[in-house]
Amino acid sequence: MPECDNPLWPCAMTGAAACLAGCTGVSVVIHGSSGCYYYPSTLLHVPIHGTFILENEVIFGSEERLLEVIGSLSGTGNRIAVITTCVPAILGEDVKAMLSGYDVLFVDSPGFSGDIESGYARALELLAPQVDSAAEGVNIDGACLLDPFSRGNVQEILRLLRLAGVSCRTVLCDDPLEKILRPAPYTIGTNTDFSSGVGETLGGTLGFKQIRETFSLVADVFPDADTGPVFSEIGRQEERVIRACDKYLQRFDPPSVAIFAGASYADFAAGTLEQYLDADIRCIGLRNHGTLSRPAEYAGSLGQVQAMIETAVPDLVIGSSFERSVSRNRAFSGIIPPLRGTVRLAPRPLAGINGTLAFMEDVLNACMDRKTRNR
Amino acid sequence: MSLKASPTLSSRSGGCTLTGALSVTTHVRDAASIIHGPKGCAHHNFSLLHATGLDNDLAVIPALVSSALAENDIVFGGEEALARTIQAVSLRDVSAVFVLSTCIVDTIGDDVEAVCAREYGVPVIPVSTAGFLGGTFHDGVNKALISLAGIAQPIEHDRNVNIIGEMNLEYEVEENYAEILRLLTLLGLPAGIRFVHTLKFDEIGMLGAAQLNILRDPSLVPVGEFLKSRFGTPYISSFPHGLSGTLAFLKSVADTCKIDGSRAMGIERALQGEILADFADLGESRAVFSGPVSDPVSFQAAQETADALHIQVGKDSGSTPVPVHPVVGTAGVKRMLHRWRRALHA
Repeated sequence: MPECDNPLWPCAMTGAAACLAGCTGVSVVIHGSSGCYYYPSTLLHVPIHGTFILENEVIFGSEERLLEVIGSLSGTGNRIAVITTCVPAILGEDVKAMLSGYDVLFVDSPGFSGDIESGYARALELLAPQVDSAAEGVNIDGACLLDPFSRGNVQEILRLLRLAGVSCRTVLCDDPLEKILRPAPYTIGTNTDFSSGVGETLGGTLGFKQIRETFSLVADVFPDADTGPVFSEIGRQEERVIRACDKYLQRFDPPSVAIFAGASYADFAAGTLEQYLDADIRCIGLRNHGTLSRPAEYAGSLGQVQAMIETAVPDLVIGSSFERSVSRNRAFSGIIPPLRGTVRLAPRPLAGINGTLAFMEDVLNACMDRKTRNR
Repeated sequence: MSLKASPTLSSRSGGCTLTGALSVTTHVRDAASIIHGPKGCAHHNFSLLHATGLDNDLAVIPALVSSALAENDIVFGGEEALARTIQAVSLRDVSAVFVLSTCIVDTIGDDVEAVCAREYGVPVIPVSTAGFLGGTFHDGVNKALISLAGIAQPIEHDRNVNIIGEMNLEYEVEENYAEILRLLTLLGLPAGIRFVHTLKFDEIGMLGAAQLNILRDPSLVPVGEFLKSRFGTPYISSFPHGLSGTLAFLKSVADTCKIDGSRAMGIERALQGEILADFADLGESRAVFSGPVSDPVSFQAAQETADALHIQVGKDSGSTPVPVHPVVGTAGVKRMLHRWRRALHA
């Protein structure tokens, strides 16, 4: 593999931690050095634990240290989950055997084994949620602590489900462990890059079209549901988006756009901007290896991102604060982590009706600010 | 809620050596830092440096390159991946290349120094920073500073005072530097280089010229000693903390530089009096010190300030928690008092 300039996406270990730390009632232990602990610890904003292994354990074995940490965490009532990092993974120790006497989940997800999505999927596979056919309600899928829109997405989909009179059974993965292990038979998605594959999917919730399709299926599956209020709200709010975009287009040309995100959000951003602003999507750089409905290329390093922006010369850049730092004075809207250099307190969605409103609001303001700034 | 819920049995939370070293090497603006290891290690650190840079209004993006070791390299050795990466980076417009190792590289036994010793056309400087194998965050800072100091040659001393080992990741790094600059200006002393903060590789050559080095923190004493033995430069082991600490700092700098510091100390004492008068409304309050830090020097500075304002500090039920931060100089005390006012008047 060639060298990589300023890699932009977290490793598989972080993905596994993001999945398991979202399960209330699970104590996550990062089995590795302090550096491997601090990154997910500061990124995920939830308490996690570490073995903080030292040279001694690398030479003489890490079993004693691992069991010492597990011992200090036992008795809390929480299920313990151990995630290995690069060094323990290559030491040749049989960590699974070490843990055989304990009721501990073990995820072998060292950083070198892949990116965040693969670690998230590996952890979820280990949890192996079993659909409870008698469980009422629907699951919300795609919640990931790393995603700055995750909490907002969940709140928004819960709101829409309430409007339709449908309950939520489980949020994957941001719920108590016992709920995650016994989800309902039907699932609706938010960010499909962190899709669980649990239950029968009724569709996604990114963009008005997806919400309409998904809630049509919700109405089919749940005869008691009243999805009318959801459709009526979509109608009202879509009209507001159309008016705001028409007003923009009355004065300005459609923006040319470079989009950098995971496949799910990138597809949403591109589709929404094309539909309402007739935007010219000049390039899409993917953080992950997901698939989407339009041309895109993998862009995992800042060097690649910079080159794509320089070639595309867009008016608007959609991405993270990494993209913003190489966008000079272009309009910018953030949809993937990290979103640094800006204060964010309220949970904002990208999914659901309010997600599209928030996204378009952000884009229009960024584009108009840039137009007036450049006068 | 603590975000660092390390088990109580753990006393190993000294941070990552690699991060410490990168906080130094990435501030040599015309050099590149190669992280020899999996991409994840480079991403973790790039993300952190990016975040702290934005917090500090720095538009510069650190030039980090990962040798991007994958499973195959880990099985068969990563030396060729490193050589390839150095080769590629050396062709860019860089004055030097720093090579920093990671935990996994030391575990698989790559000979990083030998790879760095090959000819690449630019200086290639290895810094041993293998996470837990190398030590703590502070060890990483010290190792990087000493590696870089080894490049500079002894030269004739001038009147400048160097600032050594600023905490480049701390939120108020520029404000703390400005405070030291203000105090040096009071003494009529010019500031030398900031070793290492937003520096060019060639400027490291001026390191030995200063008449005095001021260390950011006593954990840098090994660096101060190295510079003293290499260039004969005396050092002061820390930025000043608290009101009396700032006056003592002025005296110490003046004495070491063999100048009269009495006028500067008089001006500073008057400034401190004015600040305390501005916060007289806090007098007779009842407070209890709270985090985020628990180091004795910061608590001592806070206690001294509370005493000067007649704030009663104790744990009785009517006490209001006031934050204690590591404050630098008189300006740091003033900023802390604004936070105390918010807490006490809430």
